[in-house]
Amino acid sequence: MATSPQLPLADDLFLTAHDSVKGKCLLSPATLGLGMAAALIGELVLWRRLDLIDGKIQIIDDRPTGDPAATAVLDQLLREGHHRAIRDWISFLATGIAIDLVERRLSRAGLVQRQEKRGLFGSKVSFVPTDSMIAGWPATRIRTFIGRGEMLDVPDLVLAGLILATGLDQHVFVTLDARGRSQLFDQLKRRLPAMLHELVSQTEAAVGDAVMARRA
Amino acid sequence: MSTTATQPPEQSQLSNALARDRLGVAAVVFFVMSAAAPLTVVAGVVPTGLAVTGLTGISIAFVAVAVVLAIFAVGYVAMARHIANAGAFYAYISQGLGRPLGVGASWVALLAYNMFQIASYGGFGAIAAPLFSDWFGVDIKWWILALICWALTAVLGVLDVAVNGKVLATLLVAEIVVVIAFSFADIFSPNFSASSAPLDPGTLVGAGSGALLVMAVTGFVGFEQSVVFSEESRDPRRTVSRATYISVALIAVLYGFAAWAMISAAGGDVVGRAGAEGPDLFFNVASDQLGSAALHIGHALFLTSLIAAMISFHNIISRYTFSLGREGVLPRAFGKTVPGTGAPKNGSLAQSALGLIAIIVFAVNGWDPLVNMFFWGGTAGGLGVLLLVSITSIAVIGYFLKHPEGEDFWHRIGAPVIGTILLIIMTYLAIDNIATLLGVEPGSTPAVVVPLSFAVLFVAGLIWALILRSSRPEIYAGIGLGARSATAQGGGGFSAALASTEENK
Repeated sequence: MATSPQLPLADDLFLTAHDSVKGKCLLSPATLGLGMAAALIGELVLWRRLDLIDGKIQIIDDRPTGDPAATAVLDQLLREGHHRAIRDWISFLATGIAIDLVERRLSRAGLVQRQEKRGLFGSKVSFVPTDSMIAGWPATRIRTFIGRGEMLDVPDLVLAGLILATGLDQHVFVTLDARGRSQLFDQLKRRLPAMLHELVSQTEAAVGDAVMARRA
Repeated sequence: MSTTATQPPEQSQLSNALARDRLGVAAVVFFVMSAAAPLTVVAGVVPTGLAVTGLTGISIAFVAVAVVLAIFAVGYVAMARHIANAGAFYAYISQGLGRPLGVGASWVALLAYNMFQIASYGGFGAIAAPLFSDWFGVDIKWWILALICWALTAVLGVLDVAVNGKVLATLLVAEIVVVIAFSFADIFSPNFSASSAPLDPGTLVGAGSGALLVMAVTGFVGFEQSVVFSEESRDPRRTVSRATYISVALIAVLYGFAAWAMISAAGGDVVGRAGAEGPDLFFNVASDQLGSAALHIGHALFLTSLIAAMISFHNIISRYTFSLGREGVLPRAFGKTVPGTGAPKNGSLAQSALGLIAIIVFAVNGWDPLVNMFFWGGTAGGLGVLLLVSITSIAVIGYFLKHPEGEDFWHRIGAPVIGTILLIIMTYLAIDNIATLLGVEPGSTPAVVVPLSFAVLFVAGLIWALILRSSRPEIYAGIGLGARSATAQGGGGFSAALASTEENK
């Protein structure tokens, strides 16, 4: 079985967060924002631009990555050198910045389109996958690898971690059997690098925080 | 929504964005007061308490409790600046006295909060039933009305619909206006003769003083939530402490004054009238000064405030359950939310199930919804909160003995020690007077069951914590840190996944 193409981490998470039949977003806007924020930071870690140590972000390389979304975040990090807490950055980027960057990147690639829904109280603009099949790509890829008993690469491990942290697993991983689940969890435990592990933990805590504070 | 591309680079977008939601004193006071439900206390708890206990010294009890809570708050608010998950008593207790006592306290809190919630169902049924027959001429059983409210709360709870902040604000202001207006009407009533009984300090040392104090504590429940905003306030050192003192003082003055005015205007036999008229006593004593329109408005607000309190409290309980589920102190299922809405569904469902059972049990046994459900539930919950406040006060001392940095002697030791001594005396009196509080014979079933149920849950929680310590040390380590902590190894999907691998190995 051929696997579908792997997109940047945040794009994969964005697609996974959308229903593969109707294209509807499966997460609350606040949780989606936290997921996108974490995923963009994760991309910069994968690009070897950032280190995450003791809850703090360290810039180890300030060269642009060539990708406008990740570079925009890197620029912002460079401008605000005195703020380093991962948690603050997740909260900040989650205020709409991260979703906006990811939506633009995906629509440039033609993978999502603007949708305007007219409701009783004005219209609501959202971006939905252009093809319902696309939304299913990343999750299918992870399930396929796990089903074959193969190793996930690091970006997909982070993706799986963020799926769990945002609660998307209740949609995406329900079809995994007990063996598949324990295999996935085992890979996360053994093979997710410490910095990205910290990123996912911080994201999960931020999601919990949002629920407690009624922002979710 | 702000975008990076369209805005010129400012000094710090991040600081601005994160500071935008910072709260000032007024906002925190408002939040605390909205949990206090003034009409429910003044028209519900106070007259019922008069009838059940026969004690009239309630105004001085409000003042005394306010003083003790203000002293307690000195150390409490100081410790909130140093710990995560402030706002939950068990977080303080876990860090000050050890995690086993913390877990015991978390279970006690869950019971106490559920008691308030169940009390509000009974209160609504009991109070609405006569009003409905008066307004619409329909005779509906209390439990049918309670079930309607319960269903509303349950549905809104699962969908995680909160009462709109503006609606809550309007209701709260209207309630306070009604309480003040009716109290002044009492003063100008022909029957009014300034009574010294509600203010007699002798009642605080006399028989039944513990019962009065618990009734007063019930009125203050919610004040502990002020510290939730420790991290989000404009000035962490001042905002929350000022807001806490102001809230406690406002509650004491408002409730103390209203109770005094009502008792003074009720004539010689206030206890007898309270027994005969129930919550209507508050409205009746003022009715000759105010027209029937004011009476209807008062009654309607009474009901809406109960409904608003019900919905808000239900949300608090389901979030509290969620937090405990995330930490692994309760089953992990409670730590899950509905992805699309972020609603802590399982906590909400569990609370609703408990509420339904309580309503059915009370209805089937024919127990009185006002005295047995509303008043007993409310005051038993108040006793639970008093226990938690007392243990927390000890925990504050314990915490600052280990971490003396950053606070002066008065905040670390002075106030907490004085507060703890006063709270222990209050707790002793409360448990000693439990029969008076509930209006039953000493040693009878309710007088034993209420304190015993807290004790049993406390010990059960303690044992559970010890089990976790030996079998799941990674969960044990995160106890008290709350859902917002990245080091908690609890029931979020990711940390649960990591924990489960360990089991399978």
